[in-house]
Amino acid sequence: MIEKATITIDGKKIQARYGQTVLQAAREHGIYIPVLCDHPALPPEGACRICLVEIERQRTLQPACTFPVSEGLVIHTHSPKVMEARKFSLELLISDHPLDCMTCEATGNCLLQDLAYEYGITGDRYQGEKHSYAIDASNPFIVVDRNKCILCRRCVRACTYINGVEAISVFYRGFNAYIGFGADSTMQDSPCEFCGSCVEVCPTGALWPKMTLGKGRPYQLQKVQTVCTYCGVGCQIELQVRNNHIVNVVGVENAPVNQGFTCVKGRFGNDFVHHADRLTKPRVRKYLLEGGKRAGKERGEWIEVDWDTALEIVSRKLIETRNTYGSDAVGLLTSAKCTNEENYLMNKLARQIIGTNNIDHCARLCHSSTVAGLAISFGSGAMSNSIEDVTQQAKVFFVIGSNTTEQHPVIGMKIRQAVRQRDAILIVADPRQIPLVDFATLHLQHKPGTDIALLNGLMYLILKNGWEDKDFIAERTEGFEEFKAVVEQYPPEVVSEITGVPQELLHEAAQIMGTHKPMAVIWAMGITQHTTGVYNVMSLANLQMLLGNMGIPGGGVNPLRGQNNVQGACDMGGLPNVYPAYQPVTSEEAAKKFSEAWGAPMSTKVGMTVTEMIPAAKEGKIKALYIMAEDPMMSDPDTNHVRECLEACEFVVLQDIFYTETAPYADVLLPGVSFAEKSGTFTNTERRIQLVRQALQPLEGARPDWQILCEVANRILASPENGRKVDNQAPYAHWDYRQPSEIMDEINALAPSYAGVKYERLQRGETFQWPVKDEHHVGTPILHVGKFARGLGKFAAIEHIPAAELPDEAYPMILSTGRVLYHWHGGELSRRSQGLLEIYPKPLIEVHPEDAERLGLNGQRRVRVTSRRGSIVAEAWITDRVLPGMVYANFHFPEASANVLTHAALDPIAKIPEYKVCAVKVEAVE
Amino acid sequence: MAIVSSNSTTSAADPLEDGRKRAMLLAALYIAQEQFGWLSEEAIRRVAERLDLSVGQVKSTASFYTMFKLQPQGKYRIQVCEGLSCYLVGGADPIIEYVSAKLGIQPGETTADGLFTLEVVQCLAACGTAPALKVNDELYENMTFTAIDQLIERLQEQAE
Repeated sequence: MIEKATITIDGKKIQARYGQTVLQAAREHGIYIPVLCDHPALPPEGACRICLVEIERQRTLQPACTFPVSEGLVIHTHSPKVMEARKFSLELLISDHPLDCMTCEATGNCLLQDLAYEYGITGDRYQGEKHSYAIDASNPFIVVDRNKCILCRRCVRACTYINGVEAISVFYRGFNAYIGFGADSTMQDSPCEFCGSCVEVCPTGALWPKMTLGKGRPYQLQKVQTVCTYCGVGCQIELQVRNNHIVNVVGVENAPVNQGFTCVKGRFGNDFVHHADRLTKPRVRKYLLEGGKRAGKERGEWIEVDWDTALEIVSRKLIETRNTYGSDAVGLLTSAKCTNEENYLMNKLARQIIGTNNIDHCARLCHSSTVAGLAISFGSGAMSNSIEDVTQQAKVFFVIGSNTTEQHPVIGMKIRQAVRQRDAILIVADPRQIPLVDFATLHLQHKPGTDIALLNGLMYLILKNGWEDKDFIAERTEGFEEFKAVVEQYPPEVVSEITGVPQELLHEAAQIMGTHKPMAVIWAMGITQHTTGVYNVMSLANLQMLLGNMGIPGGGVNPLRGQNNVQGACDMGGLPNVYPAYQPVTSEEAAKKFSEAWGAPMSTKVGMTVTEMIPAAKEGKIKALYIMAEDPMMSDPDTNHVRECLEACEFVVLQDIFYTETAPYADVLLPGVSFAEKSGTFTNTERRIQLVRQALQPLEGARPDWQILCEVANRILASPENGRKVDNQAPYAHWDYRQPSEIMDEINALAPSYAGVKYERLQRGETFQWPVKDEHHVGTPILHVGKFARGLGKFAAIEHIPAAELPDEAYPMILSTGRVLYHWHGGELSRRSQGLLEIYPKPLIEVHPEDAERLGLNGQRRVRVTSRRGSIVAEAWITDRVLPGMVYANFHFPEASANVLTHAALDPIAKIPEYKVCAVKVEAVE
Repeated sequence: MAIVSSNSTTSAADPLEDGRKRAMLLAALYIAQEQFGWLSEEAIRRVAERLDLSVGQVKSTASFYTMFKLQPQGKYRIQVCEGLSCYLVGGADPIIEYVSAKLGIQPGETTADGLFTLEVVQCLAACGTAPALKVNDELYENMTFTAIDQLIERLQEQAE
């Protein structure tokens, strides 16, 4: 129990807690004590002396920010003595501060200015030497003006305690002290990741976002809280808007996921919204206007048309295709970038209007194996725990196949905090020396494609030492004996041979896992993007059942979802085998439910996945593709093959905000809008549903995606040519939504796990994790508590299977692919963000120094990487991040995209491609 | 398969360890300075690596203390006391000026031949024998201009 202490502040008695500082207690009770160096998210520093208070029976004034609470303290926060001392401190600070408030960016958002105002400081009390530092604007994101720095060290603490990279320090001392970066160099030459946490906490104009310079005063800005559109972490951000332009982005302080902090993309990467490449007029190919046919793969020239013409063509062609070839000749790609409401409508368009289950999206390419694997093991395919309980309560983090600090940076920050601040143990299993390794107790650097062997080897040792959770296994699982029989075939000597991990490291890792509870397993594409993706996931499910780490805080299976709304796109039925909320299309009961709701017969045949639809276009089985905000030319494996397939497809509609790499293969382009120009909801990796609020008027000519889908559906419904009957008396047959909340009302009725997700609740600031059973239910932070979704957890006996394409004489190296911190997915957004492109302007291929020497690479040489499917040329980055014999490439840049090389070998269950392993040869290029 | 494992173990980063590492930092910096004569970027980087601290933290600490040198130092660091006792007996300023003129360098600078660095320091705890100065770790007391001439001459000879 926490002991209470009664203290008196300014004559008011309050109940404080031992362990609190006077400042914290005062804050909690709404008593104002001015501060400069203290920040609620950071540990106290006691540097600025502004929070000095008079405490009775103390000889001198005391800083409230560091003085601990104890019984009976009597405190005066604004006595004459206090006021005089504060005034003196402020006068000293101001004596070496430029008095240029009228042009300073921080005006109106500056604590020093506020205090000068409050205490009547004019700046003429002390005359003396003033600093005249050069302003450092050398990096793309943050301007550093040391003249305005008051050395409060908030930035130093934010970089250490929030982000955990320790890029900022104070150098020298006294009058000569200043903040500096790395080894006293520039931000970009330091370990800085440009998360901007330092900018967030800076009380003056010393650290300022470059993009905001001269764009407006705080009181001129309209502030809208919404959800970041980059990754699946689901950080809430505040867009600050002036004249329909985003001029600044800050974190939302009380956001459940990010508590006011963000990564570089979330804070500085949103200028893509205003990029000149934005599509503003629908376009169609000329042949479509002339009523003619397309001449083979040549689509001919684009003509800009009005919306009516474009929508008329889309609905006519979709009807024609369906009337001629049947519903299953149409394929729809929905979007993990779009809102839940839009994904729901895409699913409705496919199933109600077209009559096909051929709907899928890029979840296929990232976590379909997670969804399938966890559904088999536990009966539900989502992240079982919450970011909060995992990062605050796990004693051990087992991060396998997740480059967390680069791909889910805000979760990465929290893992670093857990390691640094509360002694959590981190085990990283990754073929690459990812940045998190610096914080790890153990790094198991296994060869790509040997995850099952590694996991079986660890479980062998856990069982051998009797570290398994016998009660959990007995009470909550089945299939243990068969599983055990297989695992017993994986002693350390065998596993070490397959994986390349030394035996002693296997022992150490197994011991940590077996003797610390709870352990959270975290994974991403390194586990899923394999031909054994589903089995990899099921092996992790085995591990967590074996250790009894399911259904408890700080434990669980925690796949980190990629896109901002990939979880929601899956939840909304953007998959070929399920309706919203994972109701199977093969179920007669579900088919009846939806055909009654939507007034049309439902197909019970599982549709095609994206990895099947694209090849089916070349085979002539798919005649029309409707693609909403997806870019298969960048994201799908084996780009050259994808190109041939899209070329062959008879009719392709692309709805997007840019002319993407896929656009040349489209027949109609419909300009959608970005996340900032519409409202709706996103569901993050931990199943948390959050409100996306419209901050900007849609770019002139572009339309919100949900409105476009409604237009298409209504035109098809109204067309006399439409051969598919829809009973317009059915309760949800219509497409007359006036706003996204009305779509959510329909989702509430049809998707049980979203039943209680009401806009009124979200608008009040509630967010919740599904299942949300009704409008009073607060959601479900942890799944599988006491009972798995499928009843008993299912142990699966899984053998190691080598990757589909291993190195040989002709292609002697392994290529693994992925992303980097400063870019996102196919680069469609991040390459159109000025700062992100400036800091990481071109594709880099990671090559190990040993290989570099063998290949005759020195310094910044270019390499050609060739696989059986294609070849790319890019600059080599010689680094021991990769193993010898391995290269790593990203798919952010069309000029050298890793997916030209990757192999479309699919996991047999989830149909996810093996992006993480293929065989290549690497040569130096002049 | 061409892959050779480079599995590595890094030490657990727990707060206690962290505290100990920080406690060792000043001693490590002293040792490094003794070894190299000053703390170059390279020396700082190596101390940081050895103690698993950030380069920023090490440089920040080194720059805080005046006895750590972040620029190359002369072979002989002449540290003239400007404490109160030295001042009262007429040392300090005249001695500093004399050495400065003799070597042609200002306080904080090093002679072109890399032999001498002139520094002005606080009390050397030799008040009874003021004025005093130190050359590297050796104390010289009751200094006069003649004594300085002799000292510098001797040091120049030693260096040859």
